[in-house]
Amino acid sequence: MEFEPVIGLEIHVELKTKSKMFSSAPVAYGKEPNTLCAPLDMAFPGTLPTVNKEGVIYAIRVCNALHMSIDNVLHFDRKNYFYSDLPKGFQITQDRRPIGSEGYLEIEIDGQTKRIGIERLHIEEDTCKQLHFPAFTLLNYNRAGTPLIEIVSKPEMRSGEEAMKYVEKIRSIVVFSGVSDGKMEEGSLRVDTNVSIRPKGSKEFGTKVEVKNINSINYVQKAIDFEVARQAKLIEEGKPVLQETRRYDDKKNETVAMRLKTDSVDYKYYPETNITPIKLSDEFIQNAIDSCPELAESKKNRYIKEHGLNNYDASLLVSEKAVSDYYDEATKYSKAYKLLANWINVDVASYLNKNVISINDFPLSPEQLAGLVKMVEASEVNSNQAREIFAKMLEEKVDASKAKEMLGITSQISDTSFIKDAVNAVLEENPQAIIDYKEGKARALGFLVGQIMKKTQGKINPKLTSDMLLEELKKR
Amino acid sequence: MYEGKSILELHELLVSKKVTPLELAKDAIELAKKDTNNAFEYIMESEAIEIASKLTEPEANNLLWGIPFVIKDNMSTKDVPTTASSNILNGYVPVYDAAVVEKLKNAKAVPIGKTTLDELAMGGTGTSGHLGMTYNPYDESKTRLVGGSSCGSAAVTAAGIVPFALGSDTGDSTRKPASFAGLVGFKPTWSRISRYGLFPFAPSLDTIGIFSRNVTDAAIVTEVLAGRDDRDSTSSTEPVGKYFEEITKPCNKKNIAIVKEIRDAVKDKEVLDAFNKTVEELKKHGYKINEVSMPNDVLASLFPTYFVLSCAEATSNNANMDGIKFGPLSNGSTFEEVMSEARTKGFGELIKRRFVIGSFALMKENKHDLFIRAQKNRRRIVDCVNAILKDNDFIYLPAAPSIAPKATDSSDRLSDEYLIADNHLVLGNFAGLPSITLPIGFKERMPFGANLMARAFEETSLFQVSYELEQITGLANIYAKGGRK
Repeated sequence: MEFEPVIGLEIHVELKTKSKMFSSAPVAYGKEPNTLCAPLDMAFPGTLPTVNKEGVIYAIRVCNALHMSIDNVLHFDRKNYFYSDLPKGFQITQDRRPIGSEGYLEIEIDGQTKRIGIERLHIEEDTCKQLHFPAFTLLNYNRAGTPLIEIVSKPEMRSGEEAMKYVEKIRSIVVFSGVSDGKMEEGSLRVDTNVSIRPKGSKEFGTKVEVKNINSINYVQKAIDFEVARQAKLIEEGKPVLQETRRYDDKKNETVAMRLKTDSVDYKYYPETNITPIKLSDEFIQNAIDSCPELAESKKNRYIKEHGLNNYDASLLVSEKAVSDYYDEATKYSKAYKLLANWINVDVASYLNKNVISINDFPLSPEQLAGLVKMVEASEVNSNQAREIFAKMLEEKVDASKAKEMLGITSQISDTSFIKDAVNAVLEENPQAIIDYKEGKARALGFLVGQIMKKTQGKINPKLTSDMLLEELKKR
Repeated sequence: MYEGKSILELHELLVSKKVTPLELAKDAIELAKKDTNNAFEYIMESEAIEIASKLTEPEANNLLWGIPFVIKDNMSTKDVPTTASSNILNGYVPVYDAAVVEKLKNAKAVPIGKTTLDELAMGGTGTSGHLGMTYNPYDESKTRLVGGSSCGSAAVTAAGIVPFALGSDTGDSTRKPASFAGLVGFKPTWSRISRYGLFPFAPSLDTIGIFSRNVTDAAIVTEVLAGRDDRDSTSSTEPVGKYFEEITKPCNKKNIAIVKEIRDAVKDKEVLDAFNKTVEELKKHGYKINEVSMPNDVLASLFPTYFVLSCAEATSNNANMDGIKFGPLSNGSTFEEVMSEARTKGFGELIKRRFVIGSFALMKENKHDLFIRAQKNRRRIVDCVNAILKDNDFIYLPAAPSIAPKATDSSDRLSDEYLIADNHLVLGNFAGLPSITLPIGFKERMPFGANLMARAFEETSLFQVSYELEQITGLANIYAKGGRK
């Protein structure tokens, strides 16, 4: 039997606001445990939540990027349950009226664009972090109350690859819009997947299995592919697919059962009466949208349309926000867009790969790289020399001009009268080559350039030289 | 020596340096130590002395300078144990002051103790706290309730130990005990005073409450406590009136409604007589009294609606008390065991009962029939009240069916006397209206009161009409001298 996977994703994104969603404690990752807590974060009696405006602005940005309709009144609810990581015994969330509803995003699959529907986006708060030991558990309240948005897709993905692309796109949006680090490894972007399969063509849904604990984008695809195959095998063997929660084990590349899931969890939702509904003015919503930094798609289009980059180079630049930011900064110092893109995508990228660092830790500033690119553009140095200079800059942490000087590279001669003399001297010496050129023998030109370079020991500007040569040939 | 004195009287003594804040604090602490009404959770002796010792230069323009007061123990007090009279909070010492405590400290008033309450402010008898029943200072036989949940604050004020006390009011927790203890008991408009630091029972109904022995003192304290506090995002930005300055001005709002079904549910003849007498006097003072009606089914629904909503909110608001972050540590090999033991041991039976009811009302299968229905009915009740207040400035009624009942008395929970006469003050909580109880008479040497309610944010005129009523009854500054060791 041929099966069709049905995949829906719930993605939790930690917002990198300055303070927590409902308290004034700062938000930060990796600080000393239990040092970033306001009384509310530990649920001390009598504390009250106050809504973090920045968190709302960030949520609106993402809603807008996902083409969602944005509710102009903020409503919060309580989700009630007992758990050791839940300080208040309830989570403040948005049940009845999520800030965003009915949106979509588009992914590319085999050159085709596919639209994935998004059901809702709501604001909530994170729990505290637990560290389990055999005999005890430690609780770290630094994370408690960190703003989260939860993005719930419709069950419209049909393969692990589609799911992975969807997650990549969400990640790109939250990172480019400046609302999150989007790091799956650190848990600032968490993906829960709901996977079921059904006979191809069927309209019914199969039994849904939730797969959690997927902590890298690559694993999204792997975990889902494994889960789809597992379910297909069960059905083919005539065994039932259990409604359960499983976790992904990346070492074994398999999903492992955690617990059976029943529908009976009742969160007893009811309105959060400590926060009265908040009217969001059109102006507030518009400002939130307008203040959003440029997203990957728009940047890519700009690079192609305005900078003349090809799709490949532009896509590479926007595959990571920091890289595109680096490029944008460099373009303030040099308008040689293609050269800049090329240097970043090739030479800088290979340095980063070799040293396993991110562009944020790249030793050269965008301005320094642009300095080198300017030399290349002006043909002061040839490409081999430029690579030597690049290496020297990284080695000595110096600007391009200093590196060039240290390497003893003298600038190419761009003096037009000097070049003209050399060109004419060579033409005088090689009348046959002129005849060959006029007869359309292409290699004659290369021969002449070679002779000129030889005469000048290769120190003259090759571009100027070839321009000049063509000009002088015309006169003859 | 200074017992029974009002804020204004003490202020005069302080400013004229006839007494110092330290002397006043020590005097109040001595009286507190002699208290036999079981009204204190904690006497803040060292704290009060430390604060009072620093107050050396009298502030003539600050009426609360050096004035001692007490705090209901469901308000957070920095470095001072706060238990809400529940075992689940034994040993809990908060890290912060409630907004009202902070404001009074900033005004240089001197807190001298934390007072008992019905456990976690749930209850109206003053008998369910972990220290047991709090007694009514007017009843030397120690058989009568002072009422709750703000039982301790009512008893301390009624015994004359301090001129005012902080309470809280979710259903009538300040205004009902005020009636039983011969006090002024005031609840402001919802959102008028910051709830930051008040342990939540049912936040959509909760307000801070104020006890005093005269209307003027209540106005003075309210004026200091009212106003926007960014830590309570529900607190109002509405400007605060000059309650004290304007209290003696004649009230220009003259229409008073009496809901006849509620009045008629009161069966106590002495209470009715005294009430009717004040009504006649109010007429003489130029007030127009309008008998109005509320549908009986609306009135009969007050208590059930309140119970469903408040229990539902309470179950969530007290879910933070799980023995993990504060309060006594419990044993268990899983977090479920730890939480379950903490809650089983920590909460009293009545509390557990309310949690079960609240949880039941929020369950998926019941939510529509109970919680949501109660919410809708609340809307209906509020519409009725607002309809009355469209043509009337105030609603005036007996505050309780009678004097403080004995602890052994039982009421017929299906009678109008219970459902309506004993529970109508909750109208003020449902609609978020300012409401004040003040004494209008005595029966068997026990006081009883009447209640006035006004439109939202009309505290100024509510204090004015209450002040006039106080002139009429002449029952300002009364207190019980009994109940001392």
